[in-house]
This record gives sequence, C-alpha cells and structure tokens, in this order.
Amino acid sequence: MQNKFRGEDYLTQLEMTTETDITALDEGAQKRLQQIGSADIVVGIPSYNSKESIGRVIKACELGLAKYFSHHKSIILVSEGGAVEDTLGAVEALNDKYYFENAFIPKPEHETEIIVIKYQGASGKGTAVKAIFEAVKILNAKAGCMLDSDLRSISPEWIELLLAPVLMKDFGFVTPYYCRHKYDGTITNMIAYPLTWVLYGRRVRQPIGGDFGFSLAFVKSLLEKDVWETDIARFGIDIWMTTVAICEKFKICQSFLGAKIHDDKDPGKDLSPMFVQVVGTIFSLMEIYHENWLKVKGSRPTAIFGFESEFAPNPIDVDQGNMIRKFQEGLLRYQHIWEKVLEKENFQKIQEVAKMEVSHFELPVELWVKSLYDFSIAYKNRNGGFSSAEIIEALVPIYYAKTASFVNRTQSLDTSQAEEAIRKQCGVFESLKPYLVEAWTSQG
Amino acid sequence: MKEDDRLSKKILVVDDEKNIRLLLKEELQDEGYDVIMAENGADALEMIQKEVPDLVTLDIKMPGEDGLSILRKIREIEYDLPVIICSAYSVYKTDFSAVAADHYVTKSSDFSELKNKIQEILSYKS
Repeated sequence: MQNKFRGEDYLTQLEMTTETDITALDEGAQKRLQQIGSADIVVGIPSYNSKESIGRVIKACELGLAKYFSHHKSIILVSEGGAVEDTLGAVEALNDKYYFENAFIPKPEHETEIIVIKYQGASGKGTAVKAIFEAVKILNAKAGCMLDSDLRSISPEWIELLLAPVLMKDFGFVTPYYCRHKYDGTITNMIAYPLTWVLYGRRVRQPIGGDFGFSLAFVKSLLEKDVWETDIARFGIDIWMTTVAICEKFKICQSFLGAKIHDDKDPGKDLSPMFVQVVGTIFSLMEIYHENWLKVKGSRPTAIFGFESEFAPNPIDVDQGNMIRKFQEGLLRYQHIWEKVLEKENFQKIQEVAKMEVSHFELPVELWVKSLYDFSIAYKNRNGGFSSAEIIEALVPIYYAKTASFVNRTQSLDTSQAEEAIRKQCGVFESLKPYLVEAWTSQG
Repeated sequence: MKEDDRLSKKILVVDDEKNIRLLLKEELQDEGYDVIMAENGADALEMIQKEVPDLVTLDIKMPGEDGLSILRKIREIEYDLPVIICSAYSVYKTDFSAVAADHYVTKSSDFSELKNKIQEILSYKS
C-alpha cells in the first residue's frame, strides 16, 4: 500500500482502512459476477436516484457496444447509491429493445447483461466507482468506461471513443474532451486544468470529467491505493484518478465527445461544496505527490482522438455582480485568514481589487495564481492554526473574483477565443511555478 | 542548454516545401542540432521509428496526409515525442487536434520563437 492520505482534517476524517478490509460489492453482486466469470468490457454507471435519465444512458451504452464491440463480451453495471428498485424499474422498461431497430443497429449475438447493484459502504461517488472497479477486477475485463447517469448528450459513439484507445492503442486512462460553454466548468478552467498542467506537467483538458475509459492495469493500481475510505476517494475521485494516472506514468489520452449537456449552473451559485471537495483533494494530492511535481519542469500535451464537430453549447447566464459581492463579503468574513495565508504584497493587492467597480472589475491572472499557490502552501502548513477546511472555504471568494474577472475579459469572445485565453492563463501558472516551488521547499 | 548538449539532439523537420526544409535545417544546424528531414507523413513516420529523433517540427498543409493527421499517428507510435507545429496558418491553432502538439508556431522569417521553444522543450526532456 502506498500514497496514504495525509490531509488530517479535510472535511470529515474517516478511519483508515485498506482495500482488502472492505469491499463495495455485497455478497449477491459478488456471487453474480463470479457466475458470469469473465468479460471483455465493463461499462460502469455510478448512479444516485437517476431513474429519469439512466434509461437513455443505458440505451446509448447498449447501442455503442453492439455497434463497435459486437464480438466482445460486455457487461453494463449500474452502481446505485439510492433506490435500487427505481433503477431496476428503469432497466425493465428497456426490455423490448426497440431502440436497436430505430438506430439501424443489429442486436448483438450475445445480449449485453445489465446488472444493477446497491453498493456497500460510505455514500458517495467514490464508493460507487470502487464497486465498478472491483467488478472489473473480478471479471478480468480488458477495458472499461465510466459514464455519468444523468447525461443528456451521450451517444453510442462515446462508447467507442472511451474504449477503443484502451483496447486498440494500449492507453491506460482516457479522459473526456468536451465542447463546453466558456462559463461552464469554471472550477476546471480556473483551477483543476491549470494546476494539473503546471504541477504534473500534463495538459489534460478535463481532469475532473466524469466520463472516462480505463484499462485493467489502471484499475488494479487504483484499487491498491490506501485512500478508498478517505475523502479523497469519496469527493475528489476524478482528479485523484487523473493525478494517479499521470504520476504513475499510465498512458493517458483524451477523446473528443462533443457537447456535455447536463444541468448548467451559474458559476456563482451552488458550486462552493464542489469547490471545497475538488480543491481540497488537489491540495491533499500536492502533499502526497510533492516529490513528483517538484521535479516537473514545463508541460507536455496529451494525445487526442475523435472527430471535432461544431457545437453551440448552451449559453450560461452568469451573475457577475453576485460573484463580486461574494468576494467583497469574503474580504470582511475571511480577512483574518487571508492576512495569514497570503503573502503581504498579494493580500494588499487583493484588498485593492475588492474596491473595484463591477464594470471594470479585474483580478489579474498573476495575482490569482500567486494567491492560489499561497493557499496551497497554507493548506500544507496549516498557517495560523486554521484547519484545512477553513483554508479552502476562505479561498472560495477569491475564486469568485477570478471567475467574475474572467467573465469580464471574455464577454465578447467566442468559444475558441475563450479557450485560447484559458490556455494563456495556464502559461502564467507555468511561468510562476518557481514561486510555488520556492515557497513549498523553504517552508518545510 | 549548452551547445555540446544540443549536438546530441536530433530534430526531424517535416515540410513539403524543399526551400523551407533547407532553411530550417540551416537555422537549426547553426544552433548546434543534428537535423534530418522528411517531405511527407509516410517518410516522417518511417524516420521517427528508424532515426529516433528527439523532437519533430511539423508543417500542417501538405499534399496528401496533413500535419494534424500525422500528429495523431505520431502520438500512437511515439507517445512522448515532442512535436512543434510550424505552420503558415494560425487558424489551425484552435483545431482540437492541435492540442496534442507541444507548441504551435506560426511560420515567419524570424525563427527565434521556434528556436526558443525547441530549446525549452529539449531542456525539460533532458
């Protein structure tokens, strides 16, 4: 066992256990999988009460498997954390398989078995994913992919794009590459993408995308990690997998899946719990993998497969005023933390930014990057005696300021121009890496 | 990177235009690199496997197979080989296939950006 979770008080601390102690599959599921014996492909769908949308996802999976992998033995496994009966009902409704004829796809010789299980253990996506990985291992599957249960934009082609790089090109981990609105995925764009780029030197556009492909070797490596009963696996499973894949040198690629349509959110609303989970995990992983990222210089691209089509992502309305207000309120509420966490010069500049009018509000990229780096150092050192949860929460208003600033600067830009602005921002993260390395190494 | 280190680095220049190949060869040789050349994708892929270059500069607009298609094939056979796209057209910079390149340089009479990027990427590699 390696890479034990070291974030001592991130969210709730759980008792450490090892992979051999706990299984996320109950006895019935294990027995069924042992009866099946083996499979070439496992398509996993972590779900929590998604009876309205899961039917569409399962249909797309069945069609994709029949169209592109008809000679492979495949299993679709729904790992449910909510009401299993409802999900079983949604699967029952697909019994007549009318959609094969509609899609002009012949039914496969061996019908794909759909298994719905109720995973065991702590509630959350991490445990749902673990159950699927355990099934992959039991079935000794060559490849698998994971898909969100509430996808509205999935098509059968996603199955090919996520599985073929593993089956045909020996990739270990296939991350998604979506066409998204410029204000969709702001945690990815402002934090997860640039930090993965700068820390681990790998340009992975969607490091926290919920839809991905994987090899058996990668799954076995993940299952061996001693983090499954911690908050990293529970809340930050996606960024954790990407980081492990990079640091442990699995071959990574990206597949262009087109648009990802899901429930859009104004980045100023409802995102702070997700922010705390993702950023807390990234900072915890910085501690675990510090020997890796401290050595990394520069960055490398990641191979990409698929065919780029034109999409017009659903526009997202952003309430900049709300975000700037939250930032200004944050100054009052978290000033005592910012003062201790941020370098003096950065704190002074943040105070100046807080006085700006909405119309020309701007948090300079350099200041954002340095602030984020300061927070990662504070998270490691627990500056000022603050808990890791307090430190992450105090970063949220600055993230809102950065997002509002990005919106101001990119309002007139189209998707590809905004993408270029995000890439340039990643370049600033890279150019300021020495600032982070120096602070990290000099403060123990 | 010291000049001695550069001498041991081999760069493959892929461009269908002979004059550009020769110009790039001369410029990069002046920097101390060992330069080999290919005029199309098939030759480039063969040379990558036979000659094992440390870095590739790749044109996009070429007769037959274009540079982005060649880039995809390079990533399949030599996953970690640094590739710099060197194209007269900046429009392909936003093509999603171009993200698999290490860097994108728009061709000009000034080679300093290309040279700096080559030096930077090879210094990380070494």
